[in-house]
Amino acid sequence: MSVGRLLRVGTGLLTLSLLLAGCGSDDTNQPVDVTGGVPVGAVLALTGNANVYGQDQKIGLELALQQRNGSGGINGRPLKLALEDSGSDEPGANAAFTLQINRGVLALIGPTLSQQAFSADPIAQRRGVPVVAPSNTATGIPEIGFFISRVSAQSSVIAPLAIERALTIQPGLKRAAVFYAQDDAYSTAETTIFQKALKEKGLEPVTVQRTQLNDQDFQNQISAALREKPDLIVLSLQAVDGGNLIRQLRELGYRGLIVAGNGMNTPNIYPICQKYCDGLLIAQAYSPELDTPANGAFLKAFKAAKGGAIPPQLTAQAYTALQVIGEALVRLDKRQPLAGAPLAATRKQLMQEILAGSYATPLGEIRFTPEGEVIQSQFFVAQVRMDPDGRSGRFALLK
Amino acid sequence: MDAALLEQMLLGALLALSVYLPLRCGQLSLATPGFYAVGGYVAALLSTGVPAFAGSGATSPLPALVAEMVLGGMLAGLIALAIGGPVLRLRGIYLAIATIALVEILRVLNLNLPFTGGAMGIFGIPQPFAHARGYVLFTLALLALACWLCQRLEALRLGRAMAAIRDDELAAASLGIDTPRTKLIAFVASAVLAGLTGALAAHFFNSWNARAGSFDASITTLAFVVFGGSRFWLGPVLGGLALTALPELLRPVGDLRLILFGAVILLGPLFFPQGLVTAERLRWLAALLGRGRHRDRQAPQAP
Repeated sequence: MSVGRLLRVGTGLLTLSLLLAGCGSDDTNQPVDVTGGVPVGAVLALTGNANVYGQDQKIGLELALQQRNGSGGINGRPLKLALEDSGSDEPGANAAFTLQINRGVLALIGPTLSQQAFSADPIAQRRGVPVVAPSNTATGIPEIGFFISRVSAQSSVIAPLAIERALTIQPGLKRAAVFYAQDDAYSTAETTIFQKALKEKGLEPVTVQRTQLNDQDFQNQISAALREKPDLIVLSLQAVDGGNLIRQLRELGYRGLIVAGNGMNTPNIYPICQKYCDGLLIAQAYSPELDTPANGAFLKAFKAAKGGAIPPQLTAQAYTALQVIGEALVRLDKRQPLAGAPLAATRKQLMQEILAGSYATPLGEIRFTPEGEVIQSQFFVAQVRMDPDGRSGRFALLK
Repeated sequence: MDAALLEQMLLGALLALSVYLPLRCGQLSLATPGFYAVGGYVAALLSTGVPAFAGSGATSPLPALVAEMVLGGMLAGLIALAIGGPVLRLRGIYLAIATIALVEILRVLNLNLPFTGGAMGIFGIPQPFAHARGYVLFTLALLALACWLCQRLEALRLGRAMAAIRDDELAAASLGIDTPRTKLIAFVASAVLAGLTGALAAHFFNSWNARAGSFDASITTLAFVVFGGSRFWLGPVLGGLALTALPELLRPVGDLRLILFGAVILLGPLFFPQGLVTAERLRWLAALLGRGRHRDRQAPQAP
């Protein structure tokens, strides 16, 4: 056999095997499989440049799972959570979503980033699987379809609160400098909201500096911004680049107020900007200082697991997402038992159940609009207070 | 195996072939993801913005997909044609750097042009196929066509000219081969293939943004070819299929998955410096398969 002929035969065999592999059967008519527990899936960015968020979220899911299964699971049957890593990109999120759906999960939590959600959520929508997003804050997520909802309030609601607060701390503010990562979906979406809020409060952005997600050195942008003598700096950046930028801002002599967006709303910034984090203003959808039974239980569980630390917003939101799904499953199972019910129909009923309920969560009392957008009663503004050693700190709630 | 993963593997194989084409004449071009992004934007913009391409908004007609692929491929090809002249004067590592710069320029353009949606990109792209299986069949046909063309190159004058340039460009030029033209053809063909693939991928991934054509993507596609081997088209195809599938197939090992993936990429070139598919291995396989039927006609051993 000649090499050319071999290549032709090989191509034929490869094509045939790929064709056979591609002809898997669809699983929509199978019953719900509850052996080992009621199946729910989560897709988080545990690796890649968003992994700091994914790790926070993972803790929240684990705590919520313990809580649910410790208090009887789904009417006596345990909740079974399958966790998959999405990397931090869209193909990874798509693959993990498809894998989870093929496993027969009743609902999905995730993906971590809004950009991933725009790619992966349509897959769940087409296949009729409920999605509760724990951290997608971009505009347009619940609008993807009936099966998509979120417990993370969108940034257009939260971001302006921090600007308001900065004005009450220092009423004479006039000149704001704005920074955002121009290659990041979250940052570009949030900066538009910040800039609009600034204008509405009578603050003109004197300069808008663009950075890149993977930048390490911001000296040029910072020097350009400081030449404009701003008295307020507004950041829409992720944790790693934002933390570095704050350090460099302070090192280059900026002493004024800094407002940061949701991307820096994690204690993971402490080791990055260390003592320079001090004084940073952040509007939050979750405050550890909220005094409700639900938050008390969450704080207790978190402290038991992490030894006295204060939980970040992403952990609380992930906890809430699984809590919402768990409570909806309990209600649905009471009306009609999950075991053996047809999968596709059960997924649809579960979505209706999720949207219909009202939930006492660590975030406060929440409900959903018919589109799946979260209705949350309380928001908070916190200021970072670093300990003198510059290693640890806390988000102190501003009352 | 799941059809969606299979589709990602096939797209990986097509991109690997796009890196392979310039390498066939010794040109290390890393521009593939740039052209891939261009093709994707063409499809994303047309299918979300132009009613004739958009269909019902959720599903788009198949002829529209084909038209988008042709347009995406053509635009990528035209860009390659326009810049190919000056860029292909560079060789080796310099060409690699220039093509990385090209990818960066395209990425920054895509981030800042008024109609590309900035970092958020374009989402809600309508689907020409109801299920991933449709994509698999369609992409498989495209891959088969691309493979057949690559195989035909082995017999064509153009393909032999490419091989001559790869082995020794000066000697090839002295034999009367028009080396700039041959290299330009390979570069444009590579761009067209990447553009076609991008148009298909934009539909498959539901959304499209500038991250599709990043420096990371350049390195990934290069790894496909390094892993699979760059001498025969079968090498990049196998490399693209295997390295796209591997992170997904390694999911059962949990947190170790990316470490193992890294180890495979590291060990591949260490144990197979020429890639998985080499001339000797193909000949050995051909002999192994042919032995049964041609036992009586075995060639005498060379002294």
